[in-house]
Amino acid sequence: MKGIGRIWLVGLMALMLVVSSACSNESGGSNNDNNKDEESVTLTIGSWRTEDGPNYKKVIEAFNEKHPEIKVEFKPSKNTEYNTILNTSLQAGEGPDIIHLRPYAPGLELAKAGYIEPIDGLNGLDTFPDETLQASRGEDGTQYGVPLNLSTTQVFYNKAIFKEHGLEEPKTWDEFMAINEKLKEEGVTPLAFGTKEGWLLSLAHGIFGPAHWGGNEFVEKISKGETDFTSPEFVKSIEVMEELKEYFPNNSEGLGMEDIRTLFFTGQAAMFPLGSWEIEVLREMNPDLELGFFPMPSAVGKEPTLTTWVDGSFGINANSKHKEEAKKFLEFLTTEEFGELFTTNFKMISAIPGVQSDNELVNDLSAAVSDYSTPYMMLVYFAGGNPSSKVTIETELQGMYIGEQDVDGVVKTLQENTEAWFEPFQ
Amino acid sequence: MQIETSTPIVKQKKTRNWKRWAIHLFPVPALLIFSVFIVYPLVAALSYSFYDWNGISRGAFVGFKNFIDLFTLQPFSSMFWNAAKNNVLYFVVQMVVQNGIAFVLAFIIYKKIKGAEFFKIAYFLPRLLSVIVVGFLWKLILNPNFGALNVILGEFGLESLQKAWLGDPKTALMTIILVNCWFGIGFAMLIFLAGLQSIPKELMEAAKLDGANGTKVITKIILPLMVPSIMIMTVLTFIQSFEAFELVYAMQGSQGEPYYSTDLLAVFFYRLAFGGSAAGSSTAVGLGSALAVVLFLFIATCTALLLKFMQKKQVEM
Repeated sequence: MKGIGRIWLVGLMALMLVVSSACSNESGGSNNDNNKDEESVTLTIGSWRTEDGPNYKKVIEAFNEKHPEIKVEFKPSKNTEYNTILNTSLQAGEGPDIIHLRPYAPGLELAKAGYIEPIDGLNGLDTFPDETLQASRGEDGTQYGVPLNLSTTQVFYNKAIFKEHGLEEPKTWDEFMAINEKLKEEGVTPLAFGTKEGWLLSLAHGIFGPAHWGGNEFVEKISKGETDFTSPEFVKSIEVMEELKEYFPNNSEGLGMEDIRTLFFTGQAAMFPLGSWEIEVLREMNPDLELGFFPMPSAVGKEPTLTTWVDGSFGINANSKHKEEAKKFLEFLTTEEFGELFTTNFKMISAIPGVQSDNELVNDLSAAVSDYSTPYMMLVYFAGGNPSSKVTIETELQGMYIGEQDVDGVVKTLQENTEAWFEPFQ
Repeated sequence: MQIETSTPIVKQKKTRNWKRWAIHLFPVPALLIFSVFIVYPLVAALSYSFYDWNGISRGAFVGFKNFIDLFTLQPFSSMFWNAAKNNVLYFVVQMVVQNGIAFVLAFIIYKKIKGAEFFKIAYFLPRLLSVIVVGFLWKLILNPNFGALNVILGEFGLESLQKAWLGDPKTALMTIILVNCWFGIGFAMLIFLAGLQSIPKELMEAAKLDGANGTKVITKIILPLMVPSIMIMTVLTFIQSFEAFELVYAMQGSQGEPYYSTDLLAVFFYRLAFGGSAAGSSTAVGLGSALAVVLFLFIATCTALLLKFMQKKQVEM
């Protein structure tokens, strides 16, 4: 008995030790290769793009042709969990060597906390236009990340439905509203849109808003505090969001992302105001869908607008043991070769200007970006604060769509929230 | 191991000593788990709540500022009270609907109707699913445009009842609570059934002989003797409804959508501590920790009071 008891005990104690030490060892940090030879450096990349695993394999292969001595592993985590997992491992002094940074304020929060290595003077940074670099540049002008891709938000439309009802791409806001009206009269849901998920609301506001505040000039002014959310242009943009509700599907307050996507690719709705990342999803769901897009025509007689922003950058973990190798990888991300590899495989718009892909729609979008781009104002300038102004406008618009809030209330709440943290407004 | 042929006194003493010494070792594994996964996080959260946080890096010591902000700083204070209000509703509805129905079901089964065994299993089935699965399942059933519920309502010509149940702030929270009741009924029923079955048969028979009618039996015998199981269920329901999170997260995400109508304290905490799931949401670790501490103290205090009250109510047998 004695012996057996002891064995049990020792076993249990050992188990406990394993369990308690597992917490600290298994956080997928920078692998510390003990053997000293140069040949075996392994870089890990953290990201929220779990769906891009196979694509990154190709990128890593191309990189290895140039640098066979550096092994690279792509280790993504689920999009909604990514921030949590990354924050926890960074706090523990670990985390991947190369970090996929969220664009603008949320990504720069990590840099502010000292977790990200400055990369000023990295070869190839001059490939990118200044506003693209801004997505991962600190307030003091320090560059922390290499921009990866641009996302655009626009109205996609089903060409077959447009043809059937004799419609063409609108050239003015009034034409756009006339299209909605006509489709509704003829029994087709004009806009595949739902208000159950908040993030879709600031996204749609980012598509329709610039048509009313006239694009970049207003954004420039508001970012300097020369005007604010109570200005007539901005109030109009909120009013318009309310006007559009009658063109949404039935029960739109209960529809989320998957629901509206389904409505659109099954041909039950004519237009779909969403982001460029949906192109590939829509193609997979329905290869026969005749997909078109149009930049948002202006309501105030200006150029049409295409809302564009940087959707992510890659930075280096300040705690990484292989900063030099990580820099080499980041330099590779600035090359035209990578840009083409990226657009071709990922079907997204590369942040590197002038890159062509084999996807006509993506190429058209890239071209439109250089002509009509306007920033996604809520994300680029107003993603700070807690709750952030971006989240505030999402919640308040949601309140408006279910009758708990009116236009003035939305504007007032948003203005007050922003004054609390945004210096130019104070 | 030695084979002991004789057991002299000395030996016996040794063994007893060994036993005394060993007895203290048995809780060690449990204590280890408990301290690593429960005590340490509690202490950590408490210490986090006294610091200022800049994103995810710890700033200066600020004393009770986070706690004061939580109750006074807009928009957090209004979010806090709104979430607390929703939690109270959660508790009340679960008590009345879930435990009320469960009691009736337990009583019916106790009365030995036909197929009692089958019903027992049937009521308990939802409990076997993971909460997240239950959430997604009901999300599909409740989908306004192709969900089973609205389709069935349409078949019966009840178009007026077809709505976006989870998209309308008037119905969203209630819908989620009812789903939670559907999930929890089986467990509550089992507890009540066990309580009923532990009532001594002689008592019931004696009551019958004394000519007590059904109502009398229920009020004078069954209910008083059921107090322990009713109290256990109350405590469990209380704890569960004040830390409810998974179901709302699975069905509505972490923003308490729509328009904070389904915001609960635990969801609010998740949002503060880890940021929402959307890009462009920021974290407030200090406030989140303060909320966690407040929530812990509140649940612990109320549970202790409930248990004390329960001991007073016990019927001596």
